[in-house]
Amino acid sequence: MVNQPQNNSHGPGDADLAHINVERLSLTLGVNAILRDISFTVECGSLTGIVGPNGAGKSSLLRAIYCHRYDQPASLSGQVMIAGHPVHKMNRRERACKIAVVLQESALPFEVSVREVLATGLTPRKPLLSFTSRDDTQLIERIAADLDVMRFIDRDFGSLSGGEKQRVLIARALVQQPQILLLDEPTNHLDIQHQIETLSLVRSLGVTVLLTIHDLNMAGAYCDQLLVLNKGQLVANGKPDQVLNRELIQDVFRVSADVAIVRNTHTQERRIRIAYDMPSRVPVAAQPSREFRK
Amino acid sequence: MKIPYAFAVVLAFSVLCLSVMGAAAQGSFDLSFLNVLHGMFICPWADQCQLSLIEQQILTDIRLPRILMALLAGAGLSVTGAILQSVTRNPLADPYLFGISSGAALGAVLAMSAFSGMLAATGLSVVLNVTTGALAGGALSVFLMLTLAGKSAIQVEKLLLSGVAVSFMLSAFTSLVIYYSTPETAATLLFWLMGSFSGSNWADLMLPFLAVTLGSGLFFIFSRWLVVMQLGEESAATLGVPVHKLRLGMLLVCSAITAILVAEVGGIGFVGLMIPHIVRLLVGGQLHRVLLMSLLIGATFMIWVDVLAHSLLQDQVLPVGIVTSALGSLFFFIILKQRQSR
Repeated sequence: MVNQPQNNSHGPGDADLAHINVERLSLTLGVNAILRDISFTVECGSLTGIVGPNGAGKSSLLRAIYCHRYDQPASLSGQVMIAGHPVHKMNRRERACKIAVVLQESALPFEVSVREVLATGLTPRKPLLSFTSRDDTQLIERIAADLDVMRFIDRDFGSLSGGEKQRVLIARALVQQPQILLLDEPTNHLDIQHQIETLSLVRSLGVTVLLTIHDLNMAGAYCDQLLVLNKGQLVANGKPDQVLNRELIQDVFRVSADVAIVRNTHTQERRIRIAYDMPSRVPVAAQPSREFRK
Repeated sequence: MKIPYAFAVVLAFSVLCLSVMGAAAQGSFDLSFLNVLHGMFICPWADQCQLSLIEQQILTDIRLPRILMALLAGAGLSVTGAILQSVTRNPLADPYLFGISSGAALGAVLAMSAFSGMLAATGLSVVLNVTTGALAGGALSVFLMLTLAGKSAIQVEKLLLSGVAVSFMLSAFTSLVIYYSTPETAATLLFWLMGSFSGSNWADLMLPFLAVTLGSGLFFIFSRWLVVMQLGEESAATLGVPVHKLRLGMLLVCSAITAILVAEVGGIGFVGLMIPHIVRLLVGGQLHRVLLMSLLIGATFMIWVDVLAHSLLQDQVLPVGIVTSALGSLFFFIILKQRQSR
């Protein structure tokens, strides 16, 4: 869908080389162990989902890959390699040319047009003192057209809906022309339609993608590989249908669920489906309303 | 309300040039606009000067330095405000955020009252005049803010809190010094604190000129990174921007500009807060536009505030700070009402 950058020497073609290689990664913030001894590899051009309960270390794992600098004392051990190069040895710029990150969007204090937001994706490849060239504009507009962002490119970013903002941020990440795209809960706050749209979009990009996600059904449908984190440890790693089962969901998420492989009646695709046991009638322990009626 | 950017720049620049000349024609001594033009563009180079010596002196020695000082102060405070607002991602940030004005005030107050008596005997009073005192005080406040914040200076909230604490501490000292100084000194100090461009001469313009031009140059050079930072610090870091260093560097540059301006003209509030907001309404939020237009509109605004301060009352000059604060609060009320009615 979007052309690969010319300098991408490890495009989806050479699959022999693992694209992301994490070895014995541990992270301690202050006295809290956030990640413990995590190792995994991610293949070129694949979509990998990180799942796990709140506080399991999903975002921290992403942060370790893009070398986030913490405000508090942090000790990181182990190694993260991108196409064979350790990320912590790259300087900021080199890293930003290889890895693009889509964070959960924060409120902006001032009006900024979508076009300006997209142009910030050029930052790692442009010298500090430079004008946005015609090539840059073409790149931005091509990506904007590909991602269907063009129709609101001159609007204020703050006035967009959640799904539109997410598309813009993904488009900005592509303007960075990265080899790897990291997304922190890209489906958060989106309705079902936009969740599906966003994940299909990410799937179609052709870059190696690593994202955190809460919805296991979505994760099962769109990810090639799933990493299950619990209390900072990697408890499962593999294809969704190998990883997601009743025992794991019970262990990690403390919810009982039926896991089934179903065939979609329209597309004939086989897909994992998880049905959680949700008590439909929650017994009410105390009913103050009755006392009030007196 | 937005107008095309190129048109806005040309318009603002012409208005600024006209304002310099127009303001030079205003004042208690009658000098027509044509005389001003003649005095500015013909007298310095040709012998056919038709202005009297007095008229020439009033124009070049009194009015022009004052107007240019107002121009520099307006431009400098506005552009600094715009930068601080985007660096701290806080639309309410202004150049006096870090207690620079209270530090400068303390320095000025000390130079004027307590030490001047002591130092007059030793002959050092020439060195320690109000301007150098204010400059030293401004530097002290920034130094205190950074040392007190210590390692947490990389977090903008803690830096701001530290600045506020320093500001109150230095204000307390200033009040103490004023309380114990003679009534005449106290009156001079209070007037100085409220800001004035009167008494500026060409030599005084040098330091503010360098500060504003070099500072704005740096702001424009780094504007590509500043825009990224405006969109969020963590994502700026993932785009290869050295967020902490950039922010600290920009804060120091802003502090230096503000300290130098405060040392020369005293405390002039609200300009650094108000002008960037007006500019954003006119040309949108793109940072390099906001910077350039803040320089132009801030300068023009300050020139006319100075004229207003001179002409509101017969035979009396109002402190500039009073006029800017009054206009500024009025402006914010109007904005607030407009937002409500929308």
